[in-house]
Amino acid sequence: MIIEILEASFLVLTGLMIAYLVRHYIFTLAVLKDAGKKKEAAILENRVHVLSVSILIPAFNEEMVIGRLLQRMCELTYPADRLQILVVDDASTDGTGEIAEEFSRLHGQIEVLHRSEAEGRRGKASALNAGLNIVKGEIVLCFDADYYPQRDIVEQLSKVFEDPRVGAVQGRVTVLNEPENIVTRLVALERIGGYRIDQQARDRLRLIPQFGGTVGGFRTDLLKSLGGWDESMLAEDTDLTFRVYLSGYKIRYSNEAECYEEAVESWRAYWKQRYRWARGHMQCAFKHLFQVLKSENLRFRERVDALFLLNVYFMPVFVLFSWIISIPLFLLGPPPWLSLGWAAGIFSIYSFVGNFAPFFEVGIGAYLDGRTRAHWLVSLLVFAFLYNIPICTKALVDLFISKVAGRRSVLWDKTIHSGNGNSYIANQNKIPKRY
Amino acid sequence: MPGDFTQLSFITLFFGVVTFILVMFLPAFLELRKPKDAGPRRIEENVVSSKYQVQLASIERSEDTEADLAVIKKVANILSALPNLEP
Repeated sequence: MIIEILEASFLVLTGLMIAYLVRHYIFTLAVLKDAGKKKEAAILENRVHVLSVSILIPAFNEEMVIGRLLQRMCELTYPADRLQILVVDDASTDGTGEIAEEFSRLHGQIEVLHRSEAEGRRGKASALNAGLNIVKGEIVLCFDADYYPQRDIVEQLSKVFEDPRVGAVQGRVTVLNEPENIVTRLVALERIGGYRIDQQARDRLRLIPQFGGTVGGFRTDLLKSLGGWDESMLAEDTDLTFRVYLSGYKIRYSNEAECYEEAVESWRAYWKQRYRWARGHMQCAFKHLFQVLKSENLRFRERVDALFLLNVYFMPVFVLFSWIISIPLFLLGPPPWLSLGWAAGIFSIYSFVGNFAPFFEVGIGAYLDGRTRAHWLVSLLVFAFLYNIPICTKALVDLFISKVAGRRSVLWDKTIHSGNGNSYIANQNKIPKRY
Repeated sequence: MPGDFTQLSFITLFFGVVTFILVMFLPAFLELRKPKDAGPRRIEENVVSSKYQVQLASIERSEDTEADLAVIKKVANILSALPNLEP
């Protein structure tokens, strides 16, 4: 009886891994099919109505990076009279507030909201909600303080709102400090797979492109009607993605709206960031799973993709289970199908690397980006994937414990930004434009 | 335990695994030892202005073309055929 249960579990887990693998094959092929198409420029003059846009920048102790973002905000090509830039200084203890104030004094479109210790430091969602209360634009966009967008990003992001069914937009994130060390190089590869292929394919196939919490935004009315960001969620961005879809709106991904980010630079920081993402994503899965299945606002293909998306952080845990199960199965006498199962399992695990984007997805993304040698590091993503197994397992265990114990605590669990990206920005103009 | 490993199959398996690992990680090792990738992807900066520049260039070029002169001649012919409405 025990062997039968183990066999069935192993089969189910291998089936799940293969399902995700097929999904990534479909995504990659979908993007490859569109690869030859030319980019469409976002020309404001062609638009009947130039939308007013508010940009929210939540910041807590970001003095190393906030200055360069605000400088960039002053260089945006979008008409300044249609733009409101609002820095939410969430009771920072460093010079973040002063730097923002300095920019505000020099540039009329920049405003600063200072939160006191009593109001602030309750997490990014809380800071964003405080800002949402005073935004004036028809569209609200969000940027993290360590980001650095292209100059016409607002045109690129706002053009999708010409379609009244679109409620939110997400742009592309590119790692700025990529050459820093092996961690940043692997994160850069994960980002290439995740955005250049994964997000773009979901947009192309009209599935569920995900709002990533930054380099994107919403219709202000919609966001307010949804009650803003849910402050009890660790992954408030994923939560909003599903709330937008469940309310009948769509999210579009714009690969032409590109923005640099400063990636984590150590395995310790990587663990902290991914743990937060994994736990928050799992929290969203428990919150939205049944709503997604029941919703009449989602088409069948969107529902299927939503299930894949919601459960993606459970997969490393399932891989661990399948390894554990395979040991007694092998020792107790494997059934005739197990050799096939082993082959399928190994094949899936081999492909299932780098924040769940398989080898070929990352490799083809790098190829489409015109990278010369970045994809030579793809095999090292195995280690990133192995690292994700304990991260996601711990996140799941901790989530269960907090559910049972009824503990709920969402504070700024932020990534420390060193400002190392500043030197890369300074050197950008010296880099020959090879890709 | 399923099946019996002979010495030959063990050696084949060992060398197979070693070769697989070497082939798999060799490119990464080479790139890490001497990076040749140009670093962070340079984001597109001038999507809007470059499109305008293309439009302006095409307008400038079109001033010299014979096709435009032909159109102008046709318009002139039509205008000359119209009745003079001035008193």
